[in-house]
Amino acid sequence: MNKLPMIFVGVLITFASSWLGLVVYPFLALGHMQPAPDEDTGGYFPPTTTGLAVAGQRVYAANGCIYCHSQQVRPAPLSTDIAKGLGPRRTVARDYLRVQPAFLGTMRTGPDLTNIGVRQEEANWHHRHLYDPRSVTEWSIMPSFRFLYKLQLIQGQPSDDAVKGLTGPLAPPAGYEVVPTDDAKALVAYLLSLKRNYPLPEAPLPPAKK
Amino acid sequence: MKPQSLLSSINPANEPDALASYERAEIDASTRGPVLLFFGSAVFWLLVGSVLGLLAAWKMTHPGLLDSLGFLTFGRIRPAHLNAVIYGWASSAGIGTGLWLMARLCRVPLMHSKLLVSAAVFWNLGVLVGVLGILAGDSRSIEWLEFPGYATPILFVAYACIGIWAVIMFRYRKPGHVYVSQWYLLAAFLWFPWMYATANILLVWQPIQGSAQGAVNWWFAHNVLGLWFVPIGLASAYYMIPKVIGRPIHSYYLAILGFWSLAVFYSWNGMHHLIGGPIPAWMISASVVASVMMFIPVVTVAINHHMTMRGHFDALQWSPTLRFTVFGAMAYTIVSLQGISMAIPSLNTLTHFTDYTIGHAHFGLYGFFSMMMFGAMYYIVPRLVGWEWPSATMIRWHFWLVASGVLLMVGALTIGGILQGLAQYDPTVSFRSSLDYATPFRWLRGISGFLLLAGHLVFATLFVQMLLKVGRRKEGPALFAAPADHKPEAAV
Amino acid sequence: MTAPTQPPDEGFNEKDQRNEMDVAEVHGSILREQSEPRSGAEPVPLWLLTVFFSIIFWAGLYLAYNSGGFRADVFDPTHGAAAGDAAAQAGPVDPRVLGKRVFTQNCVVCHQTTGLGIPGQFPPLVGSEWVLGQGWHGDNHLVKILLKGLQGPVQVKGATFNNAMPTWSQLTDEQIAAVLTYIRSEWGNAAPPISAAYVKEIRDKTTARTEPWKSKDLQDIPAEKAPAEAPPAPAAPAPGASPAAPGASPAAPATSPSAVPSASPAAPAASPAVPSASPAAPAA
Repeated sequence: MNKLPMIFVGVLITFASSWLGLVVYPFLALGHMQPAPDEDTGGYFPPTTTGLAVAGQRVYAANGCIYCHSQQVRPAPLSTDIAKGLGPRRTVARDYLRVQPAFLGTMRTGPDLTNIGVRQEEANWHHRHLYDPRSVTEWSIMPSFRFLYKLQLIQGQPSDDAVKGLTGPLAPPAGYEVVPTDDAKALVAYLLSLKRNYPLPEAPLPPAKK
Repeated sequence: MKPQSLLSSINPANEPDALASYERAEIDASTRGPVLLFFGSAVFWLLVGSVLGLLAAWKMTHPGLLDSLGFLTFGRIRPAHLNAVIYGWASSAGIGTGLWLMARLCRVPLMHSKLLVSAAVFWNLGVLVGVLGILAGDSRSIEWLEFPGYATPILFVAYACIGIWAVIMFRYRKPGHVYVSQWYLLAAFLWFPWMYATANILLVWQPIQGSAQGAVNWWFAHNVLGLWFVPIGLASAYYMIPKVIGRPIHSYYLAILGFWSLAVFYSWNGMHHLIGGPIPAWMISASVVASVMMFIPVVTVAINHHMTMRGHFDALQWSPTLRFTVFGAMAYTIVSLQGISMAIPSLNTLTHFTDYTIGHAHFGLYGFFSMMMFGAMYYIVPRLVGWEWPSATMIRWHFWLVASGVLLMVGALTIGGILQGLAQYDPTVSFRSSLDYATPFRWLRGISGFLLLAGHLVFATLFVQMLLKVGRRKEGPALFAAPADHKPEAAV
Repeated sequence: MTAPTQPPDEGFNEKDQRNEMDVAEVHGSILREQSEPRSGAEPVPLWLLTVFFSIIFWAGLYLAYNSGGFRADVFDPTHGAAAGDAAAQAGPVDPRVLGKRVFTQNCVVCHQTTGLGIPGQFPPLVGSEWVLGQGWHGDNHLVKILLKGLQGPVQVKGATFNNAMPTWSQLTDEQIAAVLTYIRSEWGNAAPPISAAYVKEIRDKTTARTEPWKSKDLQDIPAEKAPAEAPPAPAAPAPGASPAAPGASPAAPATSPSAVPSASPAAPAASPAVPSASPAAPAA
């Protein structure tokens, strides 16, 4: 092994093999997927991520939600994700068609969020939870995201978008209200859009259990 | 190798190949500027990274800690920690070590070292902009690639100067044997720009669609470890072990087998981070297979290092370089075997998504790579500044603080991670239990962070003392203990 | 191979440069160090090569069984083959075939493919009074164990086992019925089949219980025999368990996402979806 060309070509060829297999292949095979038509309604799965939810992805990324929350449901024989109620079926490539980036995640310090929009449908719950997680779940170790909210004096009538039902040490004092910033509204819109509970040809839903 | 006593080794008149020493002195002098700059910035980012990591660790047990400030929220501190230690500490230390080893082994002085000095400045600028960008809220949340889009071009330009120079140096080497460390270094300096450019183009600048991002992400993130840090760390071990104990490496053929099997299998490993994830089954199966095949390079290198060390383990009692390097080499074997087990789907289903993986990552990047870099720096820096390490006691403190710190961290996260994984696997157990089980171990991890930070402060103090040449000139090397006479190992 | 040694002097002939250098610049640390490292030439041990070739052999086998046909739309290697089977049958699935598949995926780790278990650790299913519903054991106990798990000491065929069986409630009613039907009719066992409707009935009755059963809890529950209303003939769809077969779905559009007409039989479908969906599914 004293020849430069041999080492040079060798290290490039070995690396090129995985580059072709694990980068170029998914780029070609998964990079141009189309949504699946929903014959019942004429719509498409997965549904388009729209409006505020698109901006919410940036807030989700900026504040590093992925370091504690995954967004993937593993299949049943391998894991108990489905039995744990993370979702009705495993997630497949098409589920991430409309998101940017794909927040698959590698940690479950907090619960998986693949279907958080199904489990918690109420925007105010999310605002309360982001503002002060421990006022909602006493044992939570999620940090407070109150830097995404404004504490302001109530001018006449309380604002329409003020967070309702806040309790605990971080609750606003009398005469004050907590109002979400645009970032907080976008983040909650994004969380509410997380619903992977539709069927896909490659991942149908299991028969309903009554 | 002719045995030398400590005294005769210091006296040039007794040196058998004085010519070679002059050659080395000239090479070392040519690398002084860039290598010391890379080492100095590495030490700086090590301290920054330790503080960020310590804060992140304690935020896991005290979620209310400093939580009113957006730029200090856990989700920004953690990627800032990771990127500061990956690109700031580990890569800078690795580049410094790599450049020095390459010059030494090619036996050519480093040309145009001013260009490399400016590359080092740009590299640090890139890391600084990137870390501040993450804290400011521009993180991409693509693991190992969190730096915002405006930081990566700076890093890439800096890297281009560095990588090209390492390869050119190889081109102009003096004729003769190409040593195993050179293969690893050449490969690492070629692989890194390829993976870094690919990942940035496909994930940051022109993102591809959907879950293919996950595939590219983990292809990159695993290769940074496996084909950037591992080759540099192994190159250092392959150099330092025979250099300090003064005997040849055990087997050339094992070295060849270890190198090429690493090249073939490691780059296919990344998809084991996505077992059960939304990418085609065959890609995951291929990575599971490639991960298990890593047994070949790992065991080969372990045998080669162990057989070289055999009969010379007593040198660990006095040589700081060897003690850090051998700790790193043993950690490499253990952490790689652990990694193989984690790629097996039935075990992965427990350890995936838990602290266990965090422990594994720290074992690899700290227990193996950082310890290897400490060992290399203890060897290289005296030769660059012409000054001996001022205090063996402080080196001993450094070793025991970081060694106990990393073992405590890995042990705590491993046990905590298993409990967390069992709780998450059992459908009848509530999610809360997975937190409750892990919490005491997260406390231990937080304590280990203090040990590591203390060790790093000791090391930084030593490093600054070296640069400033504090104290009186010492005649012999800083050793933990007096070596047995007539042992070649004394010549560290 | 080249004997890789460090030539001590050759290659450095720039004597002028050496003379210009200040001797003090050559530090003690450089002067005392060993020559540059060399490589020895020990051969690779034979046992190591043997181990490596066995790993490579295993790797080929693993890849062959778990590649999912190297297709981009197959995400679950263990279901890749199953989906192919289902497509080939293109009809209702025999509970014993489905049961064998469920058994292979979930049960063989403890109870073994032979159904004999591991003495002292995991009880046998062959001739087991628990499986066949003999003595104080009823078919209801058997279904309950699958739904909630079983913990603590149990007596099986005169031997005592003390271990824990996990819950299998994540399996569908059809899958549980199929696997029970399978173990009651395999290896010489001959007990009547168990229907999905019966599983569902027991599942609905025991929703409140969260912890695994204990042997003595079950003993307090009177034994039942599974109703023989659902014959083993594969044609009979399990009543009540497949709520919206595609053939009937026009009446209930959109409300029942469980039965999607577009479900392709070639897809790596979760196996329980196949019996109800396949008759009307368009050939992909």
